[in-house]
Amino acid sequence: MTTSIRFDLKHGFLVVALALYTAFAAGPFLWVASMSLRTTTEISAEPYALPDTLHFSKFAIAWTDGNYGTYFGNSVIVVLSAVAVLTVIGAMAAHCFARYRFPFRRFLYFLVFSTIIFPPQITIIALFQILVEYGLFNTRTGLVLAYVAFQLPITVYILESFFARIPSDLYDAARMDGYSEWEIFWRISLPVAMPALSTTVILNTILLWNEFLYAVVLITDDDKRTLPLGIQKYMGDQLIDIGMLATGLMIAIVPVVIVYVFFSEKLIQGMTAGAIK
Amino acid sequence: MEHTAGRLTSSEPGLGLRPVGAIAGFLAPALIIYFAFTAYPVVRTIWNSFFQVFPNRPDEFVGWANYATLLFEDRFFHRAVGNTLVWALISPVVEIAIALLLALALYARVPGSRFFRLAWFTPVLMSYVVVGIIWTWIFNFDWGIANGMLRAVGLDHWAQAWLGHPDTALPSLIFVTTWMWAGFNMVVLLAAMHSLPSEVLEAAELDNCGWMAKLRYIVIPLVRPTILNLMVLSFVGKMRVFDLVWITTRGGPLWSTETVSTYVYKRAFNWNTFDLGYPCAIATIWFVVVLGGVLILTGLLRSRDKLEY
Amino acid sequence: MGNVKLDRLTKRYGDADAAAVDDVSLDIERGEFMVLLGPSGCGKSTTLRMIAGLEPITGGTLSIDGEVMNRVPARDRDIAMVFQSYALYPHMTVFDNLAFGLKRRGFAREEIDRRVTDAAGILGLAPYLARKPHALSGGQRQRVALGRAIVRDPKVFLFDEPLSNLDAALRVSMRNELVKLHQRLGTTMIYVTHDQVEAMSMGSRICIMQDGRVAQVGRPLDVYRHPANTFVASFLGSPQINLVESGVTPGEDGRSTLVVGGARIHAHCPPGHSRVIVGIRPEDFYLPGEAPDDAVGASLAARVLAVEALGAETVLLLDVEGVEKDVTARVGRSAHTAAGDLVELTVDTRAMRLFDAASGVALDPGSTTG
Ligand SMILES: Nc1ncnc2c1ncn2[C@@H]1O[C@H](COP(=O)(O)OP(=O)(O)OP(=O)(O)O)[C@@H](O)[C@H]1O
Ligand SMILES: [Mg+2]
Repeated sequence: MTTSIRFDLKHGFLVVALALYTAFAAGPFLWVASMSLRTTTEISAEPYALPDTLHFSKFAIAWTDGNYGTYFGNSVIVVLSAVAVLTVIGAMAAHCFARYRFPFRRFLYFLVFSTIIFPPQITIIALFQILVEYGLFNTRTGLVLAYVAFQLPITVYILESFFARIPSDLYDAARMDGYSEWEIFWRISLPVAMPALSTTVILNTILLWNEFLYAVVLITDDDKRTLPLGIQKYMGDQLIDIGMLATGLMIAIVPVVIVYVFFSEKLIQGMTAGAIK
Repeated sequence: MEHTAGRLTSSEPGLGLRPVGAIAGFLAPALIIYFAFTAYPVVRTIWNSFFQVFPNRPDEFVGWANYATLLFEDRFFHRAVGNTLVWALISPVVEIAIALLLALALYARVPGSRFFRLAWFTPVLMSYVVVGIIWTWIFNFDWGIANGMLRAVGLDHWAQAWLGHPDTALPSLIFVTTWMWAGFNMVVLLAAMHSLPSEVLEAAELDNCGWMAKLRYIVIPLVRPTILNLMVLSFVGKMRVFDLVWITTRGGPLWSTETVSTYVYKRAFNWNTFDLGYPCAIATIWFVVVLGGVLILTGLLRSRDKLEY
Repeated sequence: MGNVKLDRLTKRYGDADAAAVDDVSLDIERGEFMVLLGPSGCGKSTTLRMIAGLEPITGGTLSIDGEVMNRVPARDRDIAMVFQSYALYPHMTVFDNLAFGLKRRGFAREEIDRRVTDAAGILGLAPYLARKPHALSGGQRQRVALGRAIVRDPKVFLFDEPLSNLDAALRVSMRNELVKLHQRLGTTMIYVTHDQVEAMSMGSRICIMQDGRVAQVGRPLDVYRHPANTFVASFLGSPQINLVESGVTPGEDGRSTLVVGGARIHAHCPPGHSRVIVGIRPEDFYLPGEAPDDAVGASLAARVLAVEALGAETVLLLDVEGVEKDVTARVGRSAHTAAGDLVELTVDTRAMRLFDAASGVALDPGSTTG
């Protein structure tokens, strides 16, 4: 009897603690979500109230007047192009590292892989110079190239460990069936590696969607800004208009939330891939 | 890292079948990107660090002058190094300690643990820009909820502009990154704990082993490799922290939150000093420090492993 | 079409000292069912993979129908292979698995459909064509792997231990089906196994390998009856052949006297050997009254150590005086012996084989290879 009561007490305490931490972890987003639907006047009067009328029109205003439509479009273009390029060339390299033996294989893999720990500062100034010299500074193409280079190591790392686990008989069978190495990559490696590919696609999408440092260094034109840059600019311009800023934040958050709702496990897998040993 | 894969390609010279063309074709795009946009910039940054690099003017060789200045004269740099090191040394410990507690709570299979796990992971999914703005509001003196809660429990005199005061700004930002990353670390630790043989913990349960003892003698030693990885990851992450500071305080007030990254950015792109050589010297030094730190960290934790087993 | 000729084929992996395949010469005629047999690690798979074009050849030549194939890539050799792990494409249906090789070779859709339907009919796969491999049983997967080779209608079929992942009953029935398939298609087949029963029952010829070299090639019964050396002798046959070292006393009439345990046996033995190894298969021992009338016998006294009554036959473990190793004998099912009994066995000396004591090479003139 006593033990079960004690257990229940302990249990109850635990549940309360967990609920509190949940409020702490997720509360700020719920708060922003509620603010994004309220006007600045309403917020100033009572910052922590729930919205009484849902001002969805604020999103339309932010989208057009706040130029968020442009920022959003830029983010989509840059992120999707970078992820597409990353997936293809990352998978090709990973396939190669995993499936063939050749001189300097380990050395090259180590070279690429070790950049995971490099601080971005070590490349960013020279990258700026290089892009300026080649007329790619302040272009979305330049930013895409920088992003591809930035995310390449983790992409190759995740994919390589997956490709290495595919039985080599599968490749030999395809060779006997008459396929060239290149066709085998497209028709065997890629389809079989779909789970790992989707992990890297989702991971790269989220990380690049949120990226700020490369964007702030490599993009200056307002009409080429990605969402994080746009938000930063908006914050500088209109520090007082908290309501509209919250709406802007929400525009950046919603796609992430949507991806998380549908692919939470994949996303967690991708984010933690580098840390699990 | 050794696989039995790729048998097609043993290294006999002069015999066909080794798909040299295919190997080159697969690697070329990635290596071109790597050498053009990672390796070359790294080398060029290091090269730059021995020059004064002004736009529209030939670079001027200055030898070790940049390094001398920043090592012996630049007080801002010293301040930035101090702040960053504090951040990078405190954060891993605090984040992982909290993450361990959270992971243990969920390891006991409380109802709804799946939901908790998903909810706690969310902060890390958000851009530092979003997080930074939200937390400037939370720390706001007049209407931020941080002060609101202090006032609600009668601690009015503790209420302050958390990010506006040199003594509290850095701790507040460390608090924010902890909020962001604790859930992430928790998820990784939980995965590691779930992959442990469950008999071990059950045996400890039967031995009536205390909660703390269980943690200390069973769980932590077994997930040590994971903890090591997380520590390195957290360390590296804090050594490069930029976005959060830039959005919230821009290094202020009074340099109290200046990090090496923000300082490099300021010297390269923000102050109108125009010289790119000096920030390259900072970046180079920091690059060496980060690599060294990672080596020391892995070495330290590894050698402890060796001593114990 | 389908003559495969290996001429001093050699394979060395990386910079390993020992060659995995060492100087292997083998002429496989069209329509033959050649079995490569040998213990684990003797180089069977490596040989097969060199024929397939999956492994570069270090030395020697490989030719198919007179054409040198050393540098021809696998896809141009017109060879199909069935893997031990089946290696089915996990993301394709059974139909697509079967059709994959045909598509690459540019067959028309109707032709592909026809071939796949035919093969599925032969192998009983028709009901499963729309399934993916993970939804098939082990035996069904095995058939798909087989079907993938059949639809291609290649010059040569290669099999690398295709039955070793099946349970015993399925293995026996697949064995028979493969033999039937070979009769029906008449295509050259090269089959790797370490199972001597598979080798004996399926092969038109067997090539026994040891440490990367060919130990002996021949028709199953020839190899069984006239093993070229002690390795081959003991690798084939279960229970294993009895190998007993014995002294030789030369006689006058070209026959020598061998001393096996307490018994003296007269046999033909080439001159110049003072010691030989005598090989006697367990089934060449007879209990009194069981020996066939024409048996040329010598008799041997032994004590029974253990009796395994297997129903169709009885295996005796015997202690023969003067012989260190235990001797196995396979006698009729009606043997009434018990452990501890003393028995008088007859040995059919015509079936006895002699080997050089030092090298293990067969001495008896009957042992022809090839
Ligand atoms: N990729 C490789 N690299 C180096 N050595 C190898 C490789 N593949 C096989 N070997 C070696 O070559 C020798 C022959 O191997 P092989 O696979 O041909 O043996 P096997 O007769 O097929 O054996 P099993 O019955 O076990 O399949 C072995 O000693 C093996 O260790
Ligand atoms: Mg083998």
